Amino acid sequence: MNQEQLEVDLEKELNQALLSCEKCHFCNTVCPIVDSRVTQGPFGINRAIYYGLKWGALNEELRDLVYSCTTCGKCVAMCKKVSRALPLAQIFEKAREYLLVEKMLGPMPDQVGVLKNMHVRGNPWGNPSHERTKWAEGLDIPFASSDRKVDMLYFVGCACSYDSQGQKIAKNLSRILKQAGVDFGILRNETCSGHEARRMGETGLFAYLSEANTEMFEAAGISHIVTGDPHDFYSFTHEYPDNVKKLKVQHYVQFLNELIDEGKLKLSKTVNKTVTYHDPCYLGRHSEVFEEPRKLIKRMPGVTLREMENARLDSDCCGMGGGRMWMEPPKGLVSSQAIAERRVRQALDTGSEILLTACPFCNITLSDAVKSLGKEDAIKVMDITELLTMAI
Amino acid sequence: MVENVEQLAKDLKTIVGEDYVQAALFERINYADTSLPYDVGEEDLPDVVVHPASAQEVSHVLQYANEHKIPVTTYGSGTSLIFGTKPKHHGITMSTERLTSLQIDEEHQWLECGAGLKTGQLIKELGKLGYFLPIQTQVGSSVGGAVSINTLGHLTDNVFGRPVNHVLGLEVVMPTGEIIETGSKCLRRSAGWDLARIFVGAEGILGVITKVRMVLMPTPKTTDAVGFFNKVEQIGHAVGKMYREKFPIPMDGEFVGEKACKVGYEAMGLDFPQGALAVTRSMGKTKEEADRNAREMVRLFKEVGATEAFILEDSEVAEKVWRVRENAMRWGQEKGLKGYLAIEVNPTLPRLAEAMTELTHITEGRSDLIGETEAYLYGHVGSDSLHCLFAFPYSWDTKKMKQVVNEIWNLEKELMLKYDGVGGDWGWLPYRVPFFREKYGEFSYELIRKIKQLFDPNNILNRGNLEGEG
Repeated sequence: MNQEQLEVDLEKELNQALLSCEKCHFCNTVCPIVDSRVTQGPFGINRAIYYGLKWGALNEELRDLVYSCTTCGKCVAMCKKVSRALPLAQIFEKAREYLLVEKMLGPMPDQVGVLKNMHVRGNPWGNPSHERTKWAEGLDIPFASSDRKVDMLYFVGCACSYDSQGQKIAKNLSRILKQAGVDFGILRNETCSGHEARRMGETGLFAYLSEANTEMFEAAGISHIVTGDPHDFYSFTHEYPDNVKKLKVQHYVQFLNELIDEGKLKLSKTVNKTVTYHDPCYLGRHSEVFEEPRKLIKRMPGVTLREMENARLDSDCCGMGGGRMWMEPPKGLVSSQAIAERRVRQALDTGSEILLTACPFCNITLSDAVKSLGKEDAIKVMDITELLTMAI
Repeated sequence: MVENVEQLAKDLKTIVGEDYVQAALFERINYADTSLPYDVGEEDLPDVVVHPASAQEVSHVLQYANEHKIPVTTYGSGTSLIFGTKPKHHGITMSTERLTSLQIDEEHQWLECGAGLKTGQLIKELGKLGYFLPIQTQVGSSVGGAVSINTLGHLTDNVFGRPVNHVLGLEVVMPTGEIIETGSKCLRRSAGWDLARIFVGAEGILGVITKVRMVLMPTPKTTDAVGFFNKVEQIGHAVGKMYREKFPIPMDGEFVGEKACKVGYEAMGLDFPQGALAVTRSMGKTKEEADRNAREMVRLFKEVGATEAFILEDSEVAEKVWRVRENAMRWGQEKGLKGYLAIEVNPTLPRLAEAMTELTHITEGRSDLIGETEAYLYGHVGSDSLHCLFAFPYSWDTKKMKQVVNEIWNLEKELMLKYDGVGGDWGWLPYRVPFFREKYGEFSYELIRKIKQLFDPNNILNRGNLEGEG
């Protein structure tokens, strides 16, 4: 397919999807980035794309709107419930691809370097690729390869490899797996899953990264993957080539429940804590994994789970998805911090001591929001793995 | 079109602040687009969109507009099913989206909220305290907008009354900028002159509602019942019998015609008998009373020939049944008919079944564009409110779409005159002006124009709506 044809096809695809909008505005009622203007929400963004294409008004104003979406998918769930089930988040990603690939208007200026880092160094922060497995030093975790077959591959992901909060998740999960006697390993040359590149519309980079990981999975004879990053989990199960989709891919909340069921992991210590749980968008709404994390939490002796006002399918976003981790929307659009603070307030309303989550991105974002609200004494953000280590 | 838009934006920024005046293209488009099936054009866009945060700021914007003779179109949430929020003469679009204050005062037994508060948010907050909102506009609608159109004609209106019955008082900014307080802070409303009643249902042409005070309504206990019928007309007979024989009237009720039911059941995964469906929500002070009243509805449905009728014990099934009706707009899409327009016909009670029959076959044998559409009948049980959704391909060009829309509206007018209805479910301005003039005569229409002139001498506010401009 030539470039011109690709552009025509992308435009046609977008148009067809956008034509179906009933203009009922229900999507805007649940969107985390709507503050006080209809334009800020999925309705406004979808109309902007529609008219932008129709009137040839493809400009930075449109780009800013299109890239402001967190791709949390609340609008998609709402549209499915009451209207025409438009895949709005996918439409916005398609529009990003169109703006980036065809019009050279995307991504947001702050994201340019992020994509370059993913391409060159295999992670969005641009950390040296040889430092990716540094977190595992001293933990005696083997590198999976054709010579060292493992029962399960732990795909660590960028955040858990490089970010200090994320590394804590990687270390805790590894300890838990070892405790359960699981034969697992990591990849020596693991690279970014590409999830965020795809969210930013850089589908070519996503294809490149997914191919690199897929080749490594095949070379190491991997049949079972577990990850602690819902974004990677979603990409492996929904967006990677079929030969990855057919593997057994799990988020750790699923695998650890299995280990408990099989008697390999025992939670024997009482942890007297009242907790609430934040559903990460790509684990909950996008992958429909709602019950397993709750089951795991409730299995810890002494733990009381209190739900937030918005939970499960209706859970609110932490504000950092869809590439927003690396950019602040321009003035007049809702900041990621405001979104995260709103979510933390919901957690505080439950009276819980701990706000649990199962995603390194949510962990980082919500922890920052607790600090910016000055609520460090009231609530602590933790990954489920951290609480689990207290129960083992 | 304002000549110097830059100056206009600059001046308005001195009133509402730098961040709350938008002149960018996509902002202007979003505040002009409506649920009509065809797109807006450049001629429909406002010059600027302004977002005041208080009655004082609304007042200053209106004073400025009067001074410069610039039309102002008000915007609550844009969920209106007609095009009242689309500017007909460019100018300023004034959004109430930032007026979101809320005070629920259980001591006084009222709530007071900003006009821009979404009904969904209000329903949620009231629900936490055991109250409910007797307004059934969709959850994204603004309270000010719902009060302005005096809501829609669901059965709730018949049982609890329209917003005009619940509004205790309003804060209103006159088109010329004066801020007035209306109504009462006690539960008793004036039996005589009460200016609040003039603004409720005025559809925004007489003033900008900035704050609403309403009585609190305790949430009743409810039980749902469903009935299945071979023919939708049987539901019409049931409604007549319900009133005549003094059955306990439910607080809500919906029906779906045969054609739409089939698609709805498929979408919801329901294995129900073919034919039409009626679902009702009976209420009581206790659950026992609600159950008893719901059993009466089951008896009613069976007496008029329902093939089956029962209480919806399973809440998950109940939700699906209500969603068969809520998903009405999706039906056309199943056949690739993405454009749609719904009408409202409310016949007199004795002719309800007859109107249902006519609407079921409304597209048959026609040589106009309506004949090329697919029609689906649904509506509200008990409030005599019938909706017919006409679906057509989006591949039709704007000219053809406008033509079919005009044909459909004209058909609605003819049906309303024939069945002695009044409309008003979604407000009647601006497209129902021809109906109003024909039904009530030129003198009545002129009276409204004179009232408008008295309140708004420069015809600043929502210009074009009372004139019936498209």
